[in-house]
Amino acid sequence: MVLAVEAKELSVGYEESDELLWAVREVSFEVREGEAFCIVGESGSGKSTVASAIAGILPPHGVTDGELRVGGRVVVRGNERDYEGVRGRLVTYVPQSPGASLNPYLEIGDQFYYVLSSLYGLSRREAVEKARAYLRMAGLEPDAVLDRYPHELSGGMQQRAAIALALSTGARILVADEPTSSLDAHLRLQIVELLKRLRAEAGLTLIFITHDMLLAGALSERVAVMYAGRLVELGPTREVLRKPLHPYTSMLIESVPVLGVKRPLKAYTGEPPSPGEPSGGCPFYERCPFRLEVCASENPPAKEVGESRRVACWLF
Amino acid sequence: MSRAGSSSPAIELKGVSAGYLVAEGLKSLRRKYVEVLRGVSLRVGRGERLAVIGESGSGKTTLLKVVLGLLRPVKGDVVVLGHRIYDIPERERWKVTSRMGYVPQDPFRALNPRLRVADIVAEPLTRLRLPESEKRERVRAAIKMVQLHESVLEYYPSRLSGGMMQRVLIARAVVHEPELLLLDEPTSALDVSTQAQVINLLNSIQERLGCAMVAVTHDLAVAQYLADRAVVLYRGVVVEEGPLDEIVRSPKSEHARALVASYSLGSPALLGNV
Repeated sequence: MVLAVEAKELSVGYEESDELLWAVREVSFEVREGEAFCIVGESGSGKSTVASAIAGILPPHGVTDGELRVGGRVVVRGNERDYEGVRGRLVTYVPQSPGASLNPYLEIGDQFYYVLSSLYGLSRREAVEKARAYLRMAGLEPDAVLDRYPHELSGGMQQRAAIALALSTGARILVADEPTSSLDAHLRLQIVELLKRLRAEAGLTLIFITHDMLLAGALSERVAVMYAGRLVELGPTREVLRKPLHPYTSMLIESVPVLGVKRPLKAYTGEPPSPGEPSGGCPFYERCPFRLEVCASENPPAKEVGESRRVACWLF
Repeated sequence: MSRAGSSSPAIELKGVSAGYLVAEGLKSLRRKYVEVLRGVSLRVGRGERLAVIGESGSGKTTLLKVVLGLLRPVKGDVVVLGHRIYDIPERERWKVTSRMGYVPQDPFRALNPRLRVADIVAEPLTRLRLPESEKRERVRAAIKMVQLHESVLEYYPSRLSGGMMQRVLIARAVVHEPELLLLDEPTSALDVSTQAQVINLLNSIQERLGCAMVAVTHDLAVAQYLADRAVVLYRGVVVEEGPLDEIVRSPKSEHARALVASYSLGSPALLGNV
């Protein structure tokens, strides 16, 4: 089995003034080549930080520990990071807000030119040729966007352009960080369909970050659930949705409004601890309806359940 | 659940058109009128829960502004709590608007960072000239109603999480026991688990006060939990109106159909326990 991404006890923190806040703690998972993999979590869960670590765009004040391989190459070992030849070549990134990520001063065609000339030394003519193919792939009419500035495009078109730009690098691992959260419902569907199609057509590995459990269900083969910087559950998406193991996963599923289904929304009290908050025990302890005594003092280690599932909870 | 002695509907809009003046260009001082609401009519009964559903740019927020007495429509009738609010001189309008509660869209930007929570929540009471002790009592009751600890009253907003900020905004909107509660995307900035808490909270408050509640949202699934009836806005026009269950089950307008279809992603069949 070829692995696109392999994280071994990966921790990522940020240095803020004198403090070091760990946003991701000892996370281990693998993403297979060609797989659609979702990382689900709420704000502060560390999901975007994991995405940044994979895509090679951690800020300079980031601190790492553990190990991370992308496309078979070690990119993080301890606090050493080296994404040379990986960032933009093996792995590429679609950000949350396309309007804020495309350069507002460059026409769409020029954005392709800058990326492709710096990566592969393409001329403007070659870059635009390539841009046409990828824009078409992303469902855009090239002539309608190539000489437009980002602000002249609608939100949905901006996101398509950002996806085309990410793919034009030729990278086979696509990290998409909530690419639909700023879009209206009908556009969300289109972008998700687009990502599914591109993945199938181009055989990409798709790593999709979202807070939406249902979206994960529609899109991915396997899902990792994160809470307060820790990976609490991992498994095939369908099984996790049907029969969640971790109480937090249950909560995510039970609290999401589903169209056409009237059921009482289960609301667990409390909110996730903020990053850096000291917690000796399980991070979900305060909110967990099934907590045991041991949960207060010791963080549960990840445990294999069956062949394909993993959960970090003392109940198992 | 209607309030005794108030037979007029909470809101009645007839053929309301409203919009804004925007600059014609970067170098132009001339301004042109851009119409956002185009002939909107709707009625909200006392104690009723209505959702206004629409995507960005559909005019949802503008509709709330019109109801709040903040944007005079160019055409049409606006009757709120039995009063034609735009016939009332602006400095008298508070007598009606102070019977409404309003939760703005973005909790992270809607709180004055220089005020303590106690003073933020007390704002709607300013005009009512209550004795200081009663004011404090009402603020405490409101904070309790939104299930926050009393100690939060001493905090500045920067110390609050997103969910807590939203609760403070709700406390501010209900501290004066309004007859009409207006919510602008009350959960869109929140995480799912916090969203469920806030939805349940809003419903329990609505039931307790017996007030009419209008929730503006782009999320049909959320609307199901906050309202019984809905109007669907599309480019400033009401394209569909009716019981929410019916709209979800058999949408009639093209736009509502597209909206419902866009939820096919979150197929309930994916979940084992619903």
